[in-house]
Amino acid sequence: MRRRTYLTGLAGVGATALAGCSGLVETRAIPSSPPVLSNRPSAVYFPTHVEGMQMSGMAKSGEYQFGLMYSYPHRFWNVNGTSASMTEIQDDDDIHLMATVWDPETNTVLPDTGLSLEISKGGDLVSEEVIYPMLSQPMGFHYGANFGLDGDGIYTVTVSVGGVNTRRTGAFEGRFADPASADIEFEYAQSARDEISFERTMDRAGEAAARPPMEMGMMPLSVLPEPADLPGETRGETSMGDARLVVKSLETLPSGVEGGSDAQYLYVSARTPYNRMVVPAMGLEGTLTRDGETVFEGELLRTLHPEAKYHYGAAVPSVESGDTLSLSVTVPPQVARHEGYETAFLEMEDTEVTLS
Amino acid sequence: MSDAGPTRRDVVKAAVAVGGAVGLSACIDAIGGESTAPTGPDDLSTLPERQHAWKGRVREDEFGNEALPRHQTLLYLNLTEGPSADARDTVEAALSTLDRALARNHEGLLHSIAYSPAYFDRHFDESLPEDLDLPEPRALSSFEDPELDRQDALVHIASDQPDVLLRAEEALTGERDTLNGVTVEGALTDVFEVDSRRTGFVGAGMPFERGDEVEGVPDGNPIPEASPLFMGFKAGFAKNQATEDYVTLDSGPFAEGTTKHVSNIRQRLADWYGEQSFDDRVMEMFSPGHVEQGLVEGVGENLGDDSGIDRFVDDIEAHAREYGRVGHAQKAARANRDADGNPLLLRRHFESADENVASLHFPSLQRGIGQFEAVRQAMNGEDIPQITPAVRQRVNNGILEYIFTKKRGNFLVVPRSLRALPTPTGDVE
Repeated sequence: MRRRTYLTGLAGVGATALAGCSGLVETRAIPSSPPVLSNRPSAVYFPTHVEGMQMSGMAKSGEYQFGLMYSYPHRFWNVNGTSASMTEIQDDDDIHLMATVWDPETNTVLPDTGLSLEISKGGDLVSEEVIYPMLSQPMGFHYGANFGLDGDGIYTVTVSVGGVNTRRTGAFEGRFADPASADIEFEYAQSARDEISFERTMDRAGEAAARPPMEMGMMPLSVLPEPADLPGETRGETSMGDARLVVKSLETLPSGVEGGSDAQYLYVSARTPYNRMVVPAMGLEGTLTRDGETVFEGELLRTLHPEAKYHYGAAVPSVESGDTLSLSVTVPPQVARHEGYETAFLEMEDTEVTLS
Repeated sequence: MSDAGPTRRDVVKAAVAVGGAVGLSACIDAIGGESTAPTGPDDLSTLPERQHAWKGRVREDEFGNEALPRHQTLLYLNLTEGPSADARDTVEAALSTLDRALARNHEGLLHSIAYSPAYFDRHFDESLPEDLDLPEPRALSSFEDPELDRQDALVHIASDQPDVLLRAEEALTGERDTLNGVTVEGALTDVFEVDSRRTGFVGAGMPFERGDEVEGVPDGNPIPEASPLFMGFKAGFAKNQATEDYVTLDSGPFAEGTTKHVSNIRQRLADWYGEQSFDDRVMEMFSPGHVEQGLVEGVGENLGDDSGIDRFVDDIEAHAREYGRVGHAQKAARANRDADGNPLLLRRHFESADENVASLHFPSLQRGIGQFEAVRQAMNGEDIPQITPAVRQRVNNGILEYIFTKKRGNFLVVPRSLRALPTPTGDVE
């Protein structure tokens, strides 16, 4: 039952070189972030500062591959319902830890589950938290939280993922149902942390733009395919709260979706502007009308599929050119936000798209 | 008690937590003398056949809620030899020493021994009765990976007096010749080894007193002084608990016994207290309806003998949509009632500072382990995120964000007459 694997940190080289002389290195305070802009647009915007991050390690357990990264502690915004509230950096925060989980077979990042981290040092518990799903511009979807540590040294971070409750279809049907955890060794030195880049970007801050996705080496990002590269026919595109919504249809239902044998599959792929990061965990309802008659009315269910990736979909009797799809967000994306995303994807007005 | 000054009390309380033979003996030597505890009966046949009979033997508060013994210890034991007639005599001698030495109540000692499915499987060819619902322990949610306790036996001792508890443990582990003036006739450690020793406490003020010392409680110790539990509320209201009669097996070889699930749940309360208002905590512990109607004051003393949860069970989907949260008690109650509305589980959980980490030892008594499993699955609320993404697997979903299940074990609390290394059929070999 207990699935654990052990793997030492990939980023050990830099940290090891500095670990022995941390006492000699001048201590630098966490770079102070510029104040939050006073006139943020209700849309994605370029943040006031740009931080690098450091890979701590990766590990595989069960069906999952885990990656662990860290950076300076961040301010971020928690989303509950329709409000986003800022979590400030606390005095005792040393790092922002970020974890991602993906399917190593398809390199699909798995959003919308539960993830917790246990941090120990020399067998003593340092922390254990359920960490929050988050969106950041360079990483897209990940799980993250600020943590205080117990000084320089070698930590063991146990990353635990819950079984995925999101509907899984196609080759994902029946997969990712079990929890798994993996230990990742994390060698921390404040001096190494302080080598992480930190750049103030006030000249661009507030622009309608986003930082480009980071190059993460072996670790996949939650970037969604271009509309044409998703399975099925592209039926239209629209925008809600600055999220881009691509409407697609499949002639037949993927396995794992209930519906009549003649039913077709209508789905919406929701992504951030500029860098196509998945926008998960929202409640989405759709009404499909044809010549004034309602063809379908109901929830577009959060769903994971190996090619359609994370999307919102429903079985419908049919999809035809000229149909109107009305979309309504019942709950905006329930993910915490790094700066530049905290005002977007919250106020999402109903929209209509005429399908091609 | 005249000799019960604060220093002595502190020493003893600390000693329960420290444990280990050296710690115990040093502590007891330091205290000097034996405090008075009521002794047990001469005629042991006057004792109840139910080892889990606590009713009338523990304090009750003014509302009739059980006030559990303030200090408790769990000893997980493995046999070092087969269950022979001699071994049975030793076990019986050890346990009847406790019976004679200490009154079976909160001022003396409450104690029981229970056996795991693995015990019956490892040591016997015969099977347990088919209608006895005692499976091996397993993970009970899609987000936990607990260590499974499969030791042979679980001894649970409990008392309001910490030094009585320590002395009883010393008697069981062969470190004392006398207990409360009674000769120790046998030690469990003659046939068992202690695989795991876990300790705890429960009662108003006790979590607060330890709040500054344990990992898991945030700086500033926000635990209400009046709270019997770390999370700041009372629990186990009489009307929401099964009765002892209800959880007791009524037929078969183990009639008058019961099944016992014991989990250990680590608590991480920084965000519970740091990011949540009192109303948020009431919503997540009880239900959004409790906040809407202003039902909970302070630690919930005003709830009397009933958390009032039953009337909000059917509102859970509406609450999830409206508030983006659901309550822990609200979810669990969905599976914790029979057709007539009677609760199925008798929960007797207590807090722990073992290894200086805040956790909860959670023994639950019920007729069958399947009942416990169903309640735990209802508490997982895995259906709620389907209703709204505002409730996630472990966030806004009752108290799941703050609790981490580390251990699970299932045991059969056999009737007292079969407590010494029982066979699966209840027959005496």
